[in-house]
Amino acid sequence: MATVDISIFSLFLALLLLTVPIVLSRVYGIGLIRSLIYSTIRMSIQLVLIGIFLKYLFVWNNTILNIVWLAVMILAAVFSVIRGSAMKASKVLVPAYISFSLATFTIVLFLNIVVIRLDYVFDARYLIVLGGMLLGNSLRGNIVGITAFYTSIKKDKKKFLYTLSLGASFNEAILPYLKESIQLALKPTLASMATMGIVALPGMMTGVILGGTSPEVAIKYQIMIMIGIVTSTIVSVFLTILMTLRVCFSKYGVLNQDIFI
Amino acid sequence: MINFKKINLIYNQKKVIEQLSLNIEKGDKVVILGKSGLGKSSLFYLLLGFIAEYKGEIQFNNIPVNQKTVWDIRKQIAFIDQDVSLGQGKAIDWIRSVFNFRINAEQAFPQKQMEELLEYFELNKDDLDKDTQELSGGERQRLAIITAILLNRKVFLFDEITSALDAHLKQKTVDFFTKNKEWTVIAISHDSVWLKNPKVKVFDLEAKTWQQ
Repeated sequence: MATVDISIFSLFLALLLLTVPIVLSRVYGIGLIRSLIYSTIRMSIQLVLIGIFLKYLFVWNNTILNIVWLAVMILAAVFSVIRGSAMKASKVLVPAYISFSLATFTIVLFLNIVVIRLDYVFDARYLIVLGGMLLGNSLRGNIVGITAFYTSIKKDKKKFLYTLSLGASFNEAILPYLKESIQLALKPTLASMATMGIVALPGMMTGVILGGTSPEVAIKYQIMIMIGIVTSTIVSVFLTILMTLRVCFSKYGVLNQDIFI
Repeated sequence: MINFKKINLIYNQKKVIEQLSLNIEKGDKVVILGKSGLGKSSLFYLLLGFIAEYKGEIQFNNIPVNQKTVWDIRKQIAFIDQDVSLGQGKAIDWIRSVFNFRINAEQAFPQKQMEELLEYFELNKDDLDKDTQELSGGERQRLAIITAILLNRKVFLFDEITSALDAHLKQKTVDFFTKNKEWTVIAISHDSVWLKNPKVKVFDLEAKTWQQ
């Protein structure tokens, strides 16, 4: 059972659906038309390019190229996390990139080697697709977690300094903020895990089922990827915070103000 | 014991402190006076290493305050900031969390002394079970004062800690801290109770001289 292809003409028919939001926006003056059209065009161009690119990536299936491409995807994810956190890229890019790479590569390889038991563990179909799912799905959690850590210490400046003056070591002073930000980071993933399958058929399952595989296999992949997402969120938030402490705090244990935009 | 030598502090491109020298001896009870914006609170932040970009030298017990020594110096000072925040949750949990810091955990939790201090500062034991957000400003100030005393430190830095207390409690607080000869107390305050106390020396930050 192969997936039914959509012809280019049919895809344009899908665009007809856009008339609904456009008409609504027009009638009620919601002011969405421009950004709706812009986003649709932008998304289409991105996907077409990536489609062509992935096609060749899958054909060549070259180890180094696959690793490099995953590294590029990680870089893009790190940039969007930093943009979302209102921190200066010049300060946190390197430690954040190292943390995200460690988290993503370790978990993808673990899944490929230990769980799926691939013969060729750098296979583009697995390395890039699974890596992309981990990055994409932990993005929001990562933004929330890393932002929460630094902004709540900034907001709580007086209390934080008071804690230091009471004799807390640096680690003791940051611990409550670390706990809180990891809890916040995991919230969206945990919430989506709770409704999974009932409210939403997740992308991984949809893809596998449309690809012609039985739902039983799809479910196993979905369970595996969700566990991977939770782990990669917690590891990347934790590592990023730990590795940025050195740049973000002075030797006196005080948060540097110049890390924010 | 505490020496500020020729301190110059620029904050937000504004000169906050200029050429300030101030020596405080062990056992001194000092009130710092001056209009707002003169850097009264900054003096405390400088001593505690919360502000590190300045010119001049600061010593505590003849040890210069720097990134290495500051962690140890902080352990010898009990500091209470203006509008002190005790975080969220029950008051007693907050006090206990302070005593869970490794450095403070060396002493057993001073339950009995805490009860005596609650009585002296006219708080009920029930207040400890309240959420810190439910407490009034004055109650929070007194809890911070009690915690500072329980830490068993000899140097106190107080930033307007009596502002929300009534006259009677202001008096009791000042009496408590001025009577102990061992303690060095530096207070920022506009309360006349501090200023009227005969043991208190007053430093005018604007004129950079002692007043009495």
